[in-house]
Amino acid sequence: MGRSLLWVLGLLVLAALLSAPSWTAEQPYVLHMLVLMCIFAIPAVGLNLMLGYSGLVSLGHMGFAGLGAYTAAVLMVDARWSFWSALGAATIASGLAGVCIGLICFRFRGHFFMIVTLAFGLLLHAVMNNWDEVTRGAAGFAGIPRPRPLQWGDEVISFGPLPHFYYLALGLALLAFAVQYLVVRSDLGRILSAIRQDERLARSRGVDVLLYKTVVFALGSALAGVGGVLQVSFLRVAAPASFNMLESINTVLIVIVGGAGSLMGPALGALLYVGLPEWLRLANEWRLVIFGGLLVLITLFAPAGLAGLLSSLWRRLSPPRGGSS
Amino acid sequence: MSILQVSGLAKAYGGIRALEEVSFDIAGPGIYGLIGPNGAGKTTLFDAVAGTVKPDSGRVMLQGQDVTGWPSHRMARAGISRTFQECRVLAEESCLDNVLFAAQPKGLGASVRQLITRASGHRRHLREEAMRLLSMVRLQDYAHQPAALLSFGQRRLLEIVSTFISSPEVFLLDEPASGVNPALLVVLADFISAMYAERPRVFLVVEHNMEFIMSLAQDIIVMHQGRVLERGTPAQVQASPAVMEAYLG
Amino acid sequence: MGEVLLEQLINGLMMGSVYVLVALGMVLIYGVMHVVNFAHGVLFTLGGYLGYFFYHRVFDSYPLAIVLAVLSLAVIGVLLERGVFRPLTGNLRNQVIASLGLILFLENLVVALWGPNALQWKVATTEHWVQLGELRFSLHHLGIIVVTLLLVTALGLFLKYTRFGTAIRATSQSQEAAIVVGIPVRTVQWSSFALGCMLAGVGGALVGPLFLVFPQMGDVPLIKGLAGILLGGMGSVPGAVIGGMILGVTESVSTLFLPTDYRDSIAFMMMVAILLLRPQGLFGQRMRGED
Repeated sequence: MGRSLLWVLGLLVLAALLSAPSWTAEQPYVLHMLVLMCIFAIPAVGLNLMLGYSGLVSLGHMGFAGLGAYTAAVLMVDARWSFWSALGAATIASGLAGVCIGLICFRFRGHFFMIVTLAFGLLLHAVMNNWDEVTRGAAGFAGIPRPRPLQWGDEVISFGPLPHFYYLALGLALLAFAVQYLVVRSDLGRILSAIRQDERLARSRGVDVLLYKTVVFALGSALAGVGGVLQVSFLRVAAPASFNMLESINTVLIVIVGGAGSLMGPALGALLYVGLPEWLRLANEWRLVIFGGLLVLITLFAPAGLAGLLSSLWRRLSPPRGGSS
Repeated sequence: MSILQVSGLAKAYGGIRALEEVSFDIAGPGIYGLIGPNGAGKTTLFDAVAGTVKPDSGRVMLQGQDVTGWPSHRMARAGISRTFQECRVLAEESCLDNVLFAAQPKGLGASVRQLITRASGHRRHLREEAMRLLSMVRLQDYAHQPAALLSFGQRRLLEIVSTFISSPEVFLLDEPASGVNPALLVVLADFISAMYAERPRVFLVVEHNMEFIMSLAQDIIVMHQGRVLERGTPAQVQASPAVMEAYLG
Repeated sequence: MGEVLLEQLINGLMMGSVYVLVALGMVLIYGVMHVVNFAHGVLFTLGGYLGYFFYHRVFDSYPLAIVLAVLSLAVIGVLLERGVFRPLTGNLRNQVIASLGLILFLENLVVALWGPNALQWKVATTEHWVQLGELRFSLHHLGIIVVTLLLVTALGLFLKYTRFGTAIRATSQSQEAAIVVGIPVRTVQWSSFALGCMLAGVGGALVGPLFLVFPQMGDVPLIKGLAGILLGGMGSVPGAVIGGMILGVTESVSTLFLPTDYRDSIAFMMMVAILLLRPQGLFGQRMRGED
């Protein structure tokens, strides 16, 4: 048991994900759901780095996703940029916004910090909703293209068909999780964790707390931006409602229910968020009622989220060999 | 050139003048005690030297370099490290990781480089040293246990040993004996002396426990009402009428 | 010009009254429990829906519907305090996250029960008109201002002159001191929470007939309430009243100069500005950043 089994499981899941278009051929809506899971997981990874690992409770996260999404939309539709350049620019834009907004927010602690992040999320949404000339306002920004077809030798891969876009979404999601892993299991990650556990102590050990908070905010908001671009290219439309306060709250839900401060948390959270209504065959409203209730229950009784529950289950099932952990 | 030179330090909180005008010179390595009745300004002085607060006026010089008003993380990197009276450790991390974290380079450049190269050589390197220090305070069996499981006295030792590994020029210990089981105080005092013997630096210890500090330190600075009242050997200070009056008056 | 201004002033007073009701509830809860209740908006929404429900299904009387809605909110408040907030005492992050969960839970419960569409709630006072010079206001408009005035006065007297009110004030200032003096802090906490919820409920029940009853109706008042207590000062009851009023009037008057689309942004920008320039607001104590 133990680690080798975990690796095998991980590889199996990866294999399943990579071959998804073939085993979902009969039910394309499952593939559609997998794409949505990737789209929700990417900003969640960003928020997990901020909230789960660094202890920064940001309540306006989807504002950054929206900023990235609309930046890419305008570049692709009005300036006729390619998807890839627009993605790059949007990522930088949301990352920069994270730096600027973060620097203002970090002057505050506790409640005040949360409120400022909320206020900025609202401001960003208000701009998306009202700046009609650029964002097309509340009506939404239609006509956002999929990435242009790529040349691969003799083959031309277009992103119109679902399986092709799925690989794009999966690739970006895996990239996000790879970044998360690299950050968390590194000296940088240890510093972020120390900041979360005891900021004063971290400072006295030589950590420039403001600098590191800014770095994680930049990274988290950049990831949100990537998720935003992916979303609007998939749906071919950008709407302010996708990036409002409630969506920011949903992202917090995905991170917390999945397991804040765990590597798999955002994946589990997104899986549940997209998958649950399908499995339970529920109408949309009841899904969110259950999620809201879940969030409250998890906060009360299982603060480590699904990832925490699964790992305690794992520990129960695999008795220690020889005593050492 | 003195290692630590404090001149004319003043700090007021609202209407309360915690430090009136504090000046002293610590020429070379040694274990120095900082004592004084409540309200004398010892904590504020510590905070000002460590960078936790910014003094209103005056200067703090570290080996000739002006470090006045530097934030605490810069102070730490310059070589002034401190422990806290309430004892702060990373509760979720193991004892070993606590010590390793203290020794880890904290600059952004270094961290990003390590992120990309995934180098772990420096950690392996320090592991041995960290384990040795943990053994010195008899915490080697807890090396892989989270610090939250330790008793208060053990956490105190962990905090001190973590601060020690970064080899500060000026090591500020904030009431190390406070909250520690009297039976362990001898161990603690011996440990501080052993650390000093290993790396003779400036150890500045704030203490209320007279017995503890008088037997440990060679040079005692007495503060009273925001100023330095007296300074001398433990014997001199204990015999001084001015000091007695400050405490009793 | 004078008339248009007067019209907007009175509108501002009315909207300000609504904000005051929300802000008062939030400041009571914050003072006693040191928690910003982000779920306050959905409690406002529940006030609207429950008022609607009681009006249409039970009795045809508007005042009775309001009273029943408020009492229901009191019960809900006690349940929430005991079941959710009290177990999480001391953990700010989790309390805030739990209140976010409550937003999702309650807002979508309302959608599941009453549907996603806005409901029209016709009540007599919206049909009667009062003439003020050239201007005409519905009785409902003015009623909101009057009811809020009465509630604020009643609350003020309660807090100042009754034993329990004093206990609430004492607990807000210092929980430790209150315990030492023998104040039943637990009781103060759940009753203040219930009181806060009741105020939110009144707000929703009053606003429902005026605009519409819809699931998101509390989202904006939450933010306005937050802005109001920030402006007034986080722990201050008179601050909440003044802050809420200033916000309401400023917003209404601003529609004379700015496109109405941006009216709500005033609150957001005000929040950021206050936090940057004067975090303690008008009447709050100076706090060296809460940790």
